Amino acid sequence: MGHTRAKKLEEYLVRESLLILSMIALALVQMSLLPTPLGSPPTLLLVLVVCRVLLGIGSGTIFADSGLEGAARWAFYGGLTLDIGSATPLGSHALALLGAVIVVAVGTSRLRVDGPLLPLISVLIGALVYEVLLAILVYNQFTTLNEWHMYAMSVILPSVLLTLIPALPLFFLLRWLFRVQ
Amino acid sequence: MRNYLDDQPIDLAGSTPRRPLLMALMLCGLALVLFFADSLGFLTPVRGPLEWVFRPVAQQLTSWRNGVSSFTTTVTSLPHIRAENEDLKRRISQLEDELIAREQARAENTRLRQQLGIEEEHPWRLLGAEVAIRFPDAGRRVILIARGHKAGIEPGMAVIAQTDSGPTALVGIVEEVGSYMASVLLITDFGSKVSSRVLHEGETALGIVQGQWQRGSRLRLEQIERSVTPHVGDTVVSAGLTSELQLPLALASVPGGIPIGTVEAVRSDGYALVAELQPFIDSERVNYVWVILGQKN
Repeated sequence: MGHTRAKKLEEYLVRESLLILSMIALALVQMSLLPTPLGSPPTLLLVLVVCRVLLGIGSGTIFADSGLEGAARWAFYGGLTLDIGSATPLGSHALALLGAVIVVAVGTSRLRVDGPLLPLISVLIGALVYEVLLAILVYNQFTTLNEWHMYAMSVILPSVLLTLIPALPLFFLLRWLFRVQ
Repeated sequence: MRNYLDDQPIDLAGSTPRRPLLMALMLCGLALVLFFADSLGFLTPVRGPLEWVFRPVAQQLTSWRNGVSSFTTTVTSLPHIRAENEDLKRRISQLEDELIAREQARAENTRLRQQLGIEEEHPWRLLGAEVAIRFPDAGRRVILIARGHKAGIEPGMAVIAQTDSGPTALVGIVEEVGSYMASVLLITDFGSKVSSRVLHEGETALGIVQGQWQRGSRLRLEQIERSVTPHVGDTVVSAGLTSELQLPLALASVPGGIPIGTVEAVRSDGYALVAELQPFIDSERVNYVWVILGQKN
């Protein structure tokens, strides 16, 4: 019995370590390798965690957890890596990603939507939550509504639109990967 | 919520499960704690080493991305770059043409200014001409100028030139004239003889300046009148005798008073005096000359 518990713990630690390394790698890809057509790269990690929420899967696979649980861990590890790489306060990106994950998870919990519309809307909502939370946590110098309006038009809107571009391809790629497993 | 993996719609028939939500909220709480701790500076000792490890990797990846991006940009914009290159080549060619034309205009402007200066000092009507060809053999001292009969040049007309340091001086006499070219016999040629006047302290004496190139010298003033004895440094100018007499001779168009040279040495040759002259103009260096078409009224 004790041996089984130790083995399970070991497997969990290995799995978690792999997950952390994967998230570090993905964060690095987002920060360093992705093109920056509008001055910033598409928020790859956000798209992935939102897709992860939607692709909740059962036990028996490497990502054996519900969508929200897995996505929250992805968001936490990935967000911390983004914070270290972008010199923002530790936890800010993690909070923004976790916020997006929770909102999407809660918002889609009762939906029965077929086709690609749900992933797109989920990424759109998640991106909005993510950008707003980041603006509050990191760039909290806006005091007037006009400043917020300007920021929304010049930063949030382009970033959200840019995030939508890889949303569907990544969603279907992840779904295919999970199925293969 | 739809189960996309099984491609089957699933009905959760309830809210989000509590355990994952609680875990997500716990992670949020942890992130919040980290956020405030870092904002207050408690995590600075930890962040330093983490960033020290992280930054080089990120920088290397970014430089790869930039390299790929630069390569992609170059490849995709190759047709545009080629077109731009062709356009720039054409532009350079055009600018070079303009530059040459401008240089030519500048040189012409300088010559016209010189001509204007000469015409202000002397009562001559001038026609500028490029020296087109120098005779390649030493047997004759002749130059060909790029103006001819069409421009109003006639045989016997005086050809002058100017250098930076010396006065406007006689270079030669037009010998033969074509429609667009004319040959000028330089005064240093042995076949050139010009009636001249040596100026010495207000007095003048006539003589004939003959070229001496074929004899190893330049100019010699011969048949000098005995009224005046020339001295070293005296100026010799054209006498213009044939011009004054309006004779139908080849030299009839050479006006008087054109500087020729200065006396370098004087010696006695039997009963006559002979003076060696230093011409004002070194005909070897002349690239542009003026033909004296006539006198101003």
